[in-house]
Amino acid sequence: MTLVMTGTGDASRLAEGAPVVEALAREPLALPGCVFVQALTEIESGPMCEMLPPALHPTLPPVVGFTVWDAPDSVWGPFRMAQLRIECRSGLRPRGLLVSAVVDQPEAAAGLASRFGFRVTTGEVVLDRGYDATRIRVATAGKAGLFEAVLRAPQRLGESDTQFVSSLHPARMPRGLRLVQVDVDHAVKRAERTRFGIEHFDAAGWGEARIRPSLALPAVVGVADVTLRPIRYVCRPDVLAFEGTEAVDASAA
Amino acid sequence: MKFGIFHELATPRPFTAENERKVLMNALEQVRVADEVGFDTVWAVEHHFLEGYSHSSAPELFLTACAMQTERIRIGHGAVVCVREMNHPIRVAERAATLDLLSGGRLEFGTARSSTWTELGGFEADPDRTKQDWDEFVRAIPGMWTQERFSWQGSCFSMPERAVLPKPLQKPHPPMWVTVTSPGTELDAAERGLGCLGVATASLAEQERRTKEYKRRIQLCDPAGHVNDRVATLNFMYCHEDLAVAAKRGMSFLGTFGLLNSHLLFTREAWPTTAYQSLGGVSAPAASKGGGNPGAAYGVPDGVAIGDPASIVQAIKRWESVGVDQVNFLVNACEILPQEQVLESLRLFAREVMPAFREEGGGRA
Repeated sequence: MTLVMTGTGDASRLAEGAPVVEALAREPLALPGCVFVQALTEIESGPMCEMLPPALHPTLPPVVGFTVWDAPDSVWGPFRMAQLRIECRSGLRPRGLLVSAVVDQPEAAAGLASRFGFRVTTGEVVLDRGYDATRIRVATAGKAGLFEAVLRAPQRLGESDTQFVSSLHPARMPRGLRLVQVDVDHAVKRAERTRFGIEHFDAAGWGEARIRPSLALPAVVGVADVTLRPIRYVCRPDVLAFEGTEAVDASAA
Repeated sequence: MKFGIFHELATPRPFTAENERKVLMNALEQVRVADEVGFDTVWAVEHHFLEGYSHSSAPELFLTACAMQTERIRIGHGAVVCVREMNHPIRVAERAATLDLLSGGRLEFGTARSSTWTELGGFEADPDRTKQDWDEFVRAIPGMWTQERFSWQGSCFSMPERAVLPKPLQKPHPPMWVTVTSPGTELDAAERGLGCLGVATASLAEQERRTKEYKRRIQLCDPAGHVNDRVATLNFMYCHEDLAVAAKRGMSFLGTFGLLNSHLLFTREAWPTTAYQSLGGVSAPAASKGGGNPGAAYGVPDGVAIGDPASIVQAIKRWESVGVDQVNFLVNACEILPQEQVLESLRLFAREVMPAFREEGGGRA
């Protein structure tokens, strides 16, 4: 008797392209005054279990999320980043499994990969904000045109009306392949809900060819002080979170 | 204190006709036993598309079967989703009145607006509008039940003067409730004179706060219909003489239920809005916290009714002490517990737990 849907993907496949993480972040990473975009879309449900490792569960309906950060200030200087995640559940908790990310500044890309386990490539991330529309364009040198979208008809939201969900980043660590839980705090200063339209999406270019968007949901564009917290938990990808969650102590990666 | 059983009709995969029918038939048998042994109400939710978690998409049909197979237990239509894309208020009033007639005046009428994007999105409903729709439904439906002919001009729906028939058996109309998941909905209930039907687990402290505020506000209400000044809460129940056996079996279905619930896509997660301040659902406390340990199981709320009779009496006394009038119990999920164990638990609860509340309350209504 099967009760809940669980990922059926090959956990070891997550290692392909996953960064090597020798030492997890022990200090928070502050991105003050960061312009952010959070945009979700429902996807076709056929491969929803195959795209997740056995540690995770799909949402009903399955959803992927695009996140864009335009960070004017960081320890590496300004950078822009775009991420693609498969929204999911780890145990009872909502999470997003990182597929990959694109960063426009090499030093930031290296730091985000080595401390937080971002599977990242360098490329171009454009975030053009207009009065009534915001345009996003993401491209890498080898795979031009990964993603293009437009966010229209902004409506003001309250500062606490957006739900932010922690990420899981596949990473090769001394203890083995793990999903690094990245908790991100958002002190929202301004937020607008917009109509999200995808104009181009290269699923294979992001690293998961089976993602097929089916129904775009409203997106949020805003400004927030974003803080990536020090890493507290990692999870084995091959067993459920109840069994495979490991607390990260200060002395070990 | 009154006691109810609460059916989500959680169904194990694969979703074969055999599995679906088994869940329905077992639930009906539980209702018959609950009726025989003295439970006060059977509730059935309305949910759509919630794979595994709830297959109760046509509760009015399930509850009609319940009504026709029982003599005494009240029939809790809880709750009808009052959103224009999912139900038309005229049809809701007609179906509920018919169920009240068929049950011999035993209907309890619950109202809700849905908390998941899984459901609202499936009907292409606008989450920003659901509270407005619900408000209009609960203000219009009592008029449909009590006025010979009824007309309405609203923003959600309008109708010229017509006789909405049949009228319910209970006069002026069946008691009305609203499900409460988001903080503040208990105030919406109080302001309209509706019963407060808790469907998400809340801590004792949170329930005490909600109940106090509800009882204070309802004194000043502008009632949508006849005032129903009652507070019900949701709990899990498995009763066994051996505390360890009760804990093992009870926690197995509680854990399964929580896991299934947490996999739904709640509205707030998918649709940024001021209209949904809570993720909703049983696992909302875990899900709403940023980060957190994914290895931690869902925390059992204070006062869960899983244990031996003495410990369950003690747990329910705590709910009683914070002003709760009725506790509704989930008694199984996905057929995790064999049917005989569920029925024996119901019987033991009735035999050993209910008397502790009858004596002080001076008998059952």
